[in-house]
Amino acid sequence: MTLNPLLSFVSQVGQRSLQSVREVGYHAALLAEAFYWLLFGHWRRQPVRLGAVFKEAVGVGVNAIPIVALASFATGMMLAIQGIYTLRTFGAEGQVVLGIALSVTREFAPLITGIFVAGRSGSAIAARIGTMQISQEIDALRVIGINPVRYLVAPLLAAMLLTLPALTILSDLVALFGGALYCAGELSLPMGIFFERTFEVLVAEDVIHGVLKSFIFAVIVTLIGAGNGFNVSAGAEGVGQATTRAVVLGCIGIILADMVFTFLTSR
Amino acid sequence: MEIQIEDRPPYKLVRLSGDVDLHSSPRAREAILDCLKLKAPLLVDLSAVSYMDSSGVASLVEGYQTAKKQGLEFALVAVAQSAMNVLKLARLDKVFPIHASLDERMAQQR
Amino acid sequence: MNATDLAIDVSHLVTHYGSRKILDDISFQARQGEIMVIMGGSGSGKSTLLRHLLGLHQPTSGSIRLLGKDITQLSADEMYDLRKNMGVAFQGGALFNSMTVGENVELPLREHTRLDENTMRIMSRMKLEVVNLAGFENLMPSELSGGMIKRAALARAIVMDPRLLFFDEPSAGLDPVVSAELDELILILRDAMNMTIVVVTHELESAFKIADRITVLDQGRILMSDTVAAVRASSNERIQSLLNRKPRNEAINPDEYMERLTREIF
Repeated sequence: MTLNPLLSFVSQVGQRSLQSVREVGYHAALLAEAFYWLLFGHWRRQPVRLGAVFKEAVGVGVNAIPIVALASFATGMMLAIQGIYTLRTFGAEGQVVLGIALSVTREFAPLITGIFVAGRSGSAIAARIGTMQISQEIDALRVIGINPVRYLVAPLLAAMLLTLPALTILSDLVALFGGALYCAGELSLPMGIFFERTFEVLVAEDVIHGVLKSFIFAVIVTLIGAGNGFNVSAGAEGVGQATTRAVVLGCIGIILADMVFTFLTSR
Repeated sequence: MEIQIEDRPPYKLVRLSGDVDLHSSPRAREAILDCLKLKAPLLVDLSAVSYMDSSGVASLVEGYQTAKKQGLEFALVAVAQSAMNVLKLARLDKVFPIHASLDERMAQQR
Repeated sequence: MNATDLAIDVSHLVTHYGSRKILDDISFQARQGEIMVIMGGSGSGKSTLLRHLLGLHQPTSGSIRLLGKDITQLSADEMYDLRKNMGVAFQGGALFNSMTVGENVELPLREHTRLDENTMRIMSRMKLEVVNLAGFENLMPSELSGGMIKRAALARAIVMDPRLLFFDEPSAGLDPVVSAELDELILILRDAMNMTIVVVTHELESAFKIADRITVLDQGRILMSDTVAAVRASSNERIQSLLNRKPRNEAINPDEYMERLTREIF
């Protein structure tokens, strides 16, 4: 009798893993298809329309500017506060600029941007596509001859790939500004000097490192949002679940990808 | 689809024949609008139309409205049954001036 | 019946959902210009059949020929071309909520044709006239009533003048007057455009009014596919109980019945 629960546990683990592998495969196929339409859609007489890309870019990018800026500003300040507090034990408060500059550009700006966009847009994508799935709008697209991936996912992917890096650079600047502002008050370090030192310690590679990550995050947020949306089957409740899943998996995906990327590139 | 344009003073006569469909109707539209640019009253002969879809009808609608704005006469003559069905579907048979034949219209003119 | 006149020719269609068999050996035909009504109760498989006719799923076996082409064998490009000749009005309308009614109706034209902007506008407005929704093109779908949504969906389905029109449950959720109007519209469309129209419904009255032929589905199989008169006259028990709206009258086995009610209690 003790074998039974163990057996069912093992089989459950097996089924879960199979499910996960299947899901990863599904998302990979979705990515390939979205890229296919972006690159070859025109040649197949079904181009991805620039208007749609622009509209999505406003939705996922431009409209996210206030919230990303606010979060980045707070993060920059928080890093300054924490940095000065920590470095004070060594009497090395002056080094705080280095700490802020590197951690903002390499880590915090892309991460904060990615997570906020995942929360804002990942859920919205899942909700939109999920609702379209249960109201048969996806079927309607298909019978009209419009590939849903081309029509819904490809413009989103393009918009994400365009706006997330831009948002990340914005986040870099605003977070550094937040840090500079706190240092100006706490260490009486003039803002001009703060930025001068920042640009002394930063190399292009640091900023590129952050921007490269934002491309990966863009893909993750789009695919997890769209994939969960397409897989909705059970009514309004299903849309709710897909939305939650899209945010949770999107954030986890971003953090894991961040870890792997940093591990591979920063040693 | 074939388009023939004839001068029947004072009219321009546009004869459409064959299938007026999504492919060919842009040419019909252009022919009609070009004739109207010459400020001539226009007759569109549909006797030899084997099939007309709503893009063809839409081109006629646009032509009629353009003519009306310029105070020009615009009429359909000898509408083939298949085209008539499509006109009737959108109740446009009660909107367009329609003449049974070209001769009938020319006789009235005199 | 000559093979070239057949707008729809389904033969030996078998489909599964997972390991469950949903449709079993379905064969029926419809000629160009014919109104074919697919009837059956819920769970009869009629929605699944429609989804297969629309090429939304791949069947386990069998063939579905639409306008002479077997859609189970077509390449994506060939299917894309065939879809220009197919219009579909879904049960809930499936209008795109982010677009106005007019944009919804114009969408197939924008995707499939290179017509002039004016021509597309006029065409979509003409179809809205046909379904009695003139002047509604700037409203959003959320501002329409159920009957209006169905009519707008119909306008979108016929905007390309398709040779095949599929209509899923035209009368579901509508009051009798509105659904009678839709039936009338279906007849007018067939007469004017010589469309082949497939209507999926469970409404008897509407089915008898519009159908040339009726296909009756029950538990995934075809009970009958014949003219209206033949279906009315059929002596098949299931068809008669469908016609007379009698509930399924299966013989009760008292022992089994008691067992079902009291299982795991005694």
